Amino acid sequence: MKKNKTMIFLFILPTVLCLLFMYVYPIVRTVIMSFFKVESLTASTSTWSFYGLQNYFKILRNAGFISSMKNMVMIWLVGGIITMCLSMLMAVILTSGIRGAKFFKAAIYMPNIISAVALATMWIQYVFNYDYGLLNQIVKAFGGENVRWLGTDLIFWAMMIAFIFGSVGYYMLIFISGIEGIPQDLYEAATIDGANILDRFFQITLPLLKGVIRTCVTFWSINATTFFLWTKMFSPINTETATIVPVVYLYDTVFGGKGVVERDAGAGAAVGVVLTLIIIAVYVITNLILKDSDLEY
Amino acid sequence: MKKIVALLMASAMAASLAACGGSAQSSEATSTAPAESTAAESTATDGKKYEGVELTMWSMWSAGEVQANAIQAAADAFEAETGAHVNIEWKGRDVNTLISAALESGEKLDIFEDDYNRIGHAYAPYTYDLTEMADAVGYDDFSYACFNDQSKEWAGYLNSIVEQPQIGGIFYNKDVFDACGITDAPKTWDEFLTVCQTLKDNGYEPLALDGAYANFNFYNHLVRHLGEDTIAELGKNGGWADNEAAVTAAQEIIDFVNAGYLAEGAPDAYPASQTKVGLGTAAMVACANYVTSEVDAAVGEPVNWGFFNYPEVEGNVDASAYAGANSLAISSSCENPQAAFDFIMTIVTGTCGQELVDKGGQIPADTRLKESVLAGSVETLKNTTTPMSWCGSLNTLDGWSSIKSSMIELFEGKYATGADYCAYLDTLCG
Amino acid sequence: MGKYHDRINWKKELRLLPGYIIVCAWVALTAAILFWIVCASLSSTKEILTGRVMDFSNGLKWDNYVTAWNTQNVSLYFFNSLVYAIVSCVGVLLISAPGAYVLSRWKFVGGKAIRIGLVIAMSVPTIMIIMPLYSLAVQWGIKGRVLLVVLYIMLRVPYTTVYLLDFFSSLSRSYEEAAYIDGCSHSRTFWQIMLPLVQPAIITVTIFNFMSVWNEFFMALIFTTSDSMTPVGVGLLQIVNAMKYSGQYGAMFAAVIIVFLPTFLLYLFLSEKIIVGATSGGVKG
Repeated sequence: MKKNKTMIFLFILPTVLCLLFMYVYPIVRTVIMSFFKVESLTASTSTWSFYGLQNYFKILRNAGFISSMKNMVMIWLVGGIITMCLSMLMAVILTSGIRGAKFFKAAIYMPNIISAVALATMWIQYVFNYDYGLLNQIVKAFGGENVRWLGTDLIFWAMMIAFIFGSVGYYMLIFISGIEGIPQDLYEAATIDGANILDRFFQITLPLLKGVIRTCVTFWSINATTFFLWTKMFSPINTETATIVPVVYLYDTVFGGKGVVERDAGAGAAVGVVLTLIIIAVYVITNLILKDSDLEY
Repeated sequence: MKKIVALLMASAMAASLAACGGSAQSSEATSTAPAESTAAESTATDGKKYEGVELTMWSMWSAGEVQANAIQAAADAFEAETGAHVNIEWKGRDVNTLISAALESGEKLDIFEDDYNRIGHAYAPYTYDLTEMADAVGYDDFSYACFNDQSKEWAGYLNSIVEQPQIGGIFYNKDVFDACGITDAPKTWDEFLTVCQTLKDNGYEPLALDGAYANFNFYNHLVRHLGEDTIAELGKNGGWADNEAAVTAAQEIIDFVNAGYLAEGAPDAYPASQTKVGLGTAAMVACANYVTSEVDAAVGEPVNWGFFNYPEVEGNVDASAYAGANSLAISSSCENPQAAFDFIMTIVTGTCGQELVDKGGQIPADTRLKESVLAGSVETLKNTTTPMSWCGSLNTLDGWSSIKSSMIELFEGKYATGADYCAYLDTLCG
Repeated sequence: MGKYHDRINWKKELRLLPGYIIVCAWVALTAAILFWIVCASLSSTKEILTGRVMDFSNGLKWDNYVTAWNTQNVSLYFFNSLVYAIVSCVGVLLISAPGAYVLSRWKFVGGKAIRIGLVIAMSVPTIMIIMPLYSLAVQWGIKGRVLLVVLYIMLRVPYTTVYLLDFFSSLSRSYEEAAYIDGCSHSRTFWQIMLPLVQPAIITVTIFNFMSVWNEFFMALIFTTSDSMTPVGVGLLQIVNAMKYSGQYGAMFAAVIIVFLPTFLLYLFLSEKIIVGATSGGVKG
């Protein structure tokens, strides 16, 4: 087909401008800012002074940032494993031919479409409540003692449970579409060879889902690094060590939270860069480990 | 010149005609319109004091709270009287995370509301000097010297007007005390423990505590043993474990927890535990006086509150009570500071001030107003010279969030001895 | 999967029993939470705090809904979210559809770079870009609803373009060739022939964009400076906090339900489309 250069130019221009304005410029500026001493976001560039790697050293020495990174790694690793296993389990069940699969699929995905503020409020104000909460009712029904779910010991896990509950549906959908793309005759052949459910899962489903798992890991990494709202909801009065995550740390440092005495946009930018590097690293590593199988779905 | 005069006359006439039309319409619509409203409208033609002035205020209250209702009413009255329109943004308690960025980015923001300590420190470069305007109305005569002095000390000039003075200590449900036959408020830690035991024996949970206030509780206890300066020193350089008084303070809290004097589930998620004092299952809570109005609202009826100072310990060093304030400040970019100041005065004095006292259950910001809930608090505050701060300089430390969490853990009973706890504190400080 | 269900095969169902138990438990948990919240939204604070929400001995407290709706600008929050969602859905299509079309149809200088850029942009954390955007907005004095809408549009462009690109690629070129022979210009071909052909994809992607913008929180928190532009997510947080401080638990849960309901109803009707949108975004990402 003949090229119409003007048209191509006009059609692609808005997309390119958007990329430049919304992504390229801000990313470049954030990276540069992370090497400068910048107190306030709105300070003009003429007041920036070169700071070398000081911003990075500063955050790495800060107890708040270190705990936030620890929490993030926990969310990414432990939360990730649990979420992936649960989503995979749900996906396998829902594709095993059970009745009402459509309904279950919609119901399990539902938390994803509700405002997370509403979701978090339900968990905090009801499920985890000490006196009348659902979990403690269950614990009591089994003869246990009330548990302080929102105490310093458990609040992080409470937050994680609530977050996982909300996330499973999404990853389940991705797995389902992956599983549905696997040719049925593979299973039939395996069944004839006498493979049971577990054999079929580990020998056919799992290996063929490599690409999908990679996608999920990438998405989960983005979710874990940009974790923000749930911490805000679980530590409503001020940020707490147990639940702090890097984005909340960044938010407090840049915009000034309660008890934050000096704001530091340069350090905030450094946090952003570190997080982005982590995402890239995870992406590269998962791609190396889960090498592309040539199958595409 | 003549032309200008003529123009002014013409516009004044037009304005008065418009005003007449307006009032005629409104009196038709509501035949029982009160006389004042027509009077107020007719004065508009004479030019109200701040006609056309627009003020923006960021409030720490949320829409629907009694304080917000009172302030909104004050804004309406202020507009009717002076013609200045006050546009109030109800930001809620999170206002403190927003103000700095807003002031800096040049957001149009004339009046803002927050803790006077933060106004004196973090926002000080953006605040207007209120000294002259305050002198003009004789502010010193009806306000609390301790807060004004602090503000001047921190910012170099008076940069905030107190709206909600606070005192801290132990608040209790008098009905529960009566039911247990406790007549005298405890003054010392030993008396306090006896009271707790009596309450427990009578089936009440002695002390309610929400995690958010664990640091306030323990800080209070530390101040009794060490005084604020020593705490600041230890916070900065460490050395808790070598300080006998600090170890004792932590040990006493651990013993207190082990004796079972904390409410079921405490330290709980705010505000679950404090509400129990209102429900009558728990008896006391250590907090600032706003706890009374919060609990009243939660249980839907006024609780019979009593108050006493945080008990003194053996070898007491400092017996001062916490005092602080939520205050109002004017931003230095404000174009009509006098109008803003007048509005602030409308809030803290007179009808609105009294409304905040009566419905908000707070201590009068204007000492000429009548007290409602906690009798004697005005007198206490007036005599206060060096109040205890809210966790002093500890909350400016880098490790503050870890320290804060450790204080919750202390009340959760996670440390076996005071020495263990102090050793842990040393890893966080210095 | 419907074909398996013609007749109940008890042996097979029994084998699936563990599966049934697991998904049923999961859904039951969700239902229990929602049920309690609904009950709580009709109870007084005291009933909630003493654990008697199913009791209703003092009648159903419909007032809670009135309080939740009236004390804060819930209707304004909804209106704002609606405006943001609709305007940005339209805006993002106007940018993405033509872009996706030319990217899918012609090879040109920088085309590959743009494709890669779009995919990378989809995984850049918002915090990485938000700080410079904030200073730009302050510097240029842009604020209010316009600012948020513009940001939302640009935020959704990478995903939408990549999504539509795949669909355009799957369309046969014969449509355009025929149109071209008939003397139709390229851009007319696009607007009148190609765009209608990808309508299903546009609907799916729009529903998904709508949901994301409706529920967006972080940008809204940072860029809204006044109540008049607050969307539901941030608005609900304010309501929840306010109700907590003023001890109105019933109204707090009522507010949660009020915010939950419209999305939920929409979901009841559109769940399949939404699910398709969510999955394709995932697998192609």
